[in-house]
Amino acid sequence: MRRFSLAFAGIVLVAAIAAPSALAQFAPVTPESPNAEGIRQSYLFVSIFVAGIFVLVEGLLIAFIWKYRRRRRPRFEDGAPIHGATKLELAWTAFPVVVLFLVAAFVFIELPGIKDIPEATAGEEQLEVRVSGRQFYWQYEYPNGVIAVDTMRAPAGVPVRLEVTAPDSDVIHSWWIPPLGGKIDAIPGTVNQTWFEADTPGTYHGQCAELCGLEHANMLASVEVLSQPEFAAWLEERRAEQTAGSGELGAETWEGVCAKCHGLAGEGGIGPRIAGSLVLADPEALESLVRNGRRTMPAVGAGWTSEQVEALANYLKESPPSGS
Amino acid sequence: MAVSRAESVPAWQRGKVASWLVTTDHKRIGILYISTALVFFVLAGLMALVFRLQLSQANADVLSADRYNELITIHGTAMVFLVVVPLLAGFANYLVPLMIGAHDVAFPRLNALSYWLFFLGGAILMGSFFADGGAADTGWTAYPPLSTQATGNGQDLWILSLHVLTASSLAGAINFIVTIHNMRARGMTWMRMPLFVWSILLFAWLLMAILPTLSAGLTLLLLDRGVSIGPWDVQTNFFNPAEGGSPVLYQHAFWFFGHPEVYVIVLPAFGIISEVLPVFSRKPVFGYKAIAASTVAIGFFSMLVWAHHLFTVGLPISLQVFFMLASMIIAVPTGMKIFNWLATLWRGNLHFETPMLYALGFLSIFVIGGLTGIYLAAFPIDWQLHDSYFVVAHFHYTIFGGAMFAIFAGLFYWWPKMFGRLLDERLGKWQFWTLFVGFNLAFMPQHFAGLEGMPRRVYTYSNESWEGYNLASTIGSYVMGVAILLFVVNIWRARSGPRVGNDPWQADTLEWYTTSPPPPHNFDDVPYVTSARPLYDLRRKLRIERGGREPA
Repeated sequence: MRRFSLAFAGIVLVAAIAAPSALAQFAPVTPESPNAEGIRQSYLFVSIFVAGIFVLVEGLLIAFIWKYRRRRRPRFEDGAPIHGATKLELAWTAFPVVVLFLVAAFVFIELPGIKDIPEATAGEEQLEVRVSGRQFYWQYEYPNGVIAVDTMRAPAGVPVRLEVTAPDSDVIHSWWIPPLGGKIDAIPGTVNQTWFEADTPGTYHGQCAELCGLEHANMLASVEVLSQPEFAAWLEERRAEQTAGSGELGAETWEGVCAKCHGLAGEGGIGPRIAGSLVLADPEALESLVRNGRRTMPAVGAGWTSEQVEALANYLKESPPSGS
Repeated sequence: MAVSRAESVPAWQRGKVASWLVTTDHKRIGILYISTALVFFVLAGLMALVFRLQLSQANADVLSADRYNELITIHGTAMVFLVVVPLLAGFANYLVPLMIGAHDVAFPRLNALSYWLFFLGGAILMGSFFADGGAADTGWTAYPPLSTQATGNGQDLWILSLHVLTASSLAGAINFIVTIHNMRARGMTWMRMPLFVWSILLFAWLLMAILPTLSAGLTLLLLDRGVSIGPWDVQTNFFNPAEGGSPVLYQHAFWFFGHPEVYVIVLPAFGIISEVLPVFSRKPVFGYKAIAASTVAIGFFSMLVWAHHLFTVGLPISLQVFFMLASMIIAVPTGMKIFNWLATLWRGNLHFETPMLYALGFLSIFVIGGLTGIYLAAFPIDWQLHDSYFVVAHFHYTIFGGAMFAIFAGLFYWWPKMFGRLLDERLGKWQFWTLFVGFNLAFMPQHFAGLEGMPRRVYTYSNESWEGYNLASTIGSYVMGVAILLFVVNIWRARSGPRVGNDPWQADTLEWYTTSPPPPHNFDDVPYVTSARPLYDLRRKLRIERGGREPA
């Protein structure tokens, strides 16, 4: 019995050390922002205890199954009676309390780094972007009025504060770019806050995490992190294009808003075929349709600026969908 | 003047089918509950097999988005409301009167009403596939505004079905509470009551506490969708933000019901395990009082944790802290149970018939479901994992790996009580191992898909690094399908299986005191109950009377 317990304790110890490193493979995706990093650290800290308890319980279970199996004993012979185990009961009541206390304490230590938006460092302004979840696209609005769809551009090394919401006529969505932190719901009538600060330029992908209707699965989002000068140039250029009614916004709107249901070439999908439709060539009819919706088509353009409607109309005039 | 039972029954009710349709016998109603729920189990399981096919590969083209959303919605709703809860209610119906030495439940007709309402609610839900616009497709949680904006009648039928099922559960809950409080055998004090009966008591009290909130939430949802009452069209805006309503209010109402519902499911499963483990370890359950007390504690705390389902709606941090701590506190009584069960095995004389295999399988799997719950209770971690496949894996580990494994333990254990015949052991063991392997293959990889960013409820995905996990999961689900098929074969063959005695397992509780299957009135006489193991006491007394030695 004694040798058995020693061997068992050894196994538990080795496993408890080895398991967290194995579990680190199975942790949230590689973080690219301090809040995602804080969440991952918390996850790994919890994993130490989870792995330990897992090994302890499953180990005892297997050991008992092996050691106390019937062998040649008579079928209905009684097992050993055990009387009074108050200390044992107290011990395994206290043990989870201690573990949970440690977990909660660690969460409290990590919490400020996860939820609080860092102060902007010398000379750099925080960037604030309004994120609006809509069936079935993400619309971003920058402080200077620049609009973007689905792909957000952000500067590296600058804290970006996101104000996440949805129009009153829409449904609940959830903003989630795993490498840039946890999710926050985009709820009609409510403005929620979250943030990220990515140091490495690159494109980070995510998608809507709250069932929002038929094309929920295709409501993808990405954040393209640019170096600060590149970002400043992009923002400037977009501002100018938008005023002129030209540029990428029209194409982005077509791809992000219209094409998810009607197909990239307007060939139809869950929505009808619209290639060749007269509405696409008539800016007034187009505006009325996107702003008000029709039958099962949601009012995808409710609240759009006239610049965005114009950009879409101009894009459709220049490159009408081919239908195949 | 005694009138025999047969004479008091009108002729038209004596037929083989008619006698089941009009029955008020708790045992027959229990069997009706269990068999109906098993049919729904197969249906909802087949739905899962279809949508797992759609998810087995990236960009697959098996199902359209709307069919997919309908299938996941009805799969989830049916598994909770038509399968797991009714299966446990079926066990409760069959066993509670027998375990406490009563002749029936307190209100047998109300009991029959409760079954037939369940049948009706189930028929409405399954029938809603044929409604205008198809079945509901907004998930089993039906969050507004998506559910208030849903077109067609599917969502309305979903609400109607849940209202009917709520009425059914309330009637059942009242019945169990009155029965358990008033009809226990002489000598059966609270501390001598079988642990399964303890768990049903809490199951019933919890249902009484939480179902009204669900009904209220569903009624508001229905009114928000708009109803016509006579000449008046009513359309409210409780959840409509454009008119000052709050969509999050519904989430509170739903989860104030929805989280305790998890314990409504899992407490009776715990109860089954607490009955099976001691019998197959040939020992009394370790820490009877601790297990009974932890049942009550879990029931109480389960009503204080609902908002951990709302960590991403933007609640104030102080509230998130409260709900994190409350959720973590539940781990303490749950841990007590697990350690007490382990200690029940300790120094026992273990034998591994199918009920025991399922009970041990339950232990090994439920631990995983409990541990992943710690991540989700810690709200910053939940911000990352919420609504991802990690959550899908977590709740299948608790509800399938926990409750369904316990239910199979119960089915194999009490089958000879219900029918006087054993289910086949060889097929049963094959079924256990197939299900155990299939289950872990299906749901373990979903943790990893979730950690890598796969959200739940997506009908398709293009990220190819999720493909491996999903393929494994799909294969696992089909292995589980094979296991269920083995169970169906086993039931079929057991109709003509060998008869066994009244008490094939040499168990300890009163239901085994009578014949198997029991007569309509259950008991000719009920012994005075001297402990939580009345049959053990009787066997011991008999042995001593016959001059045998007192066991050491």
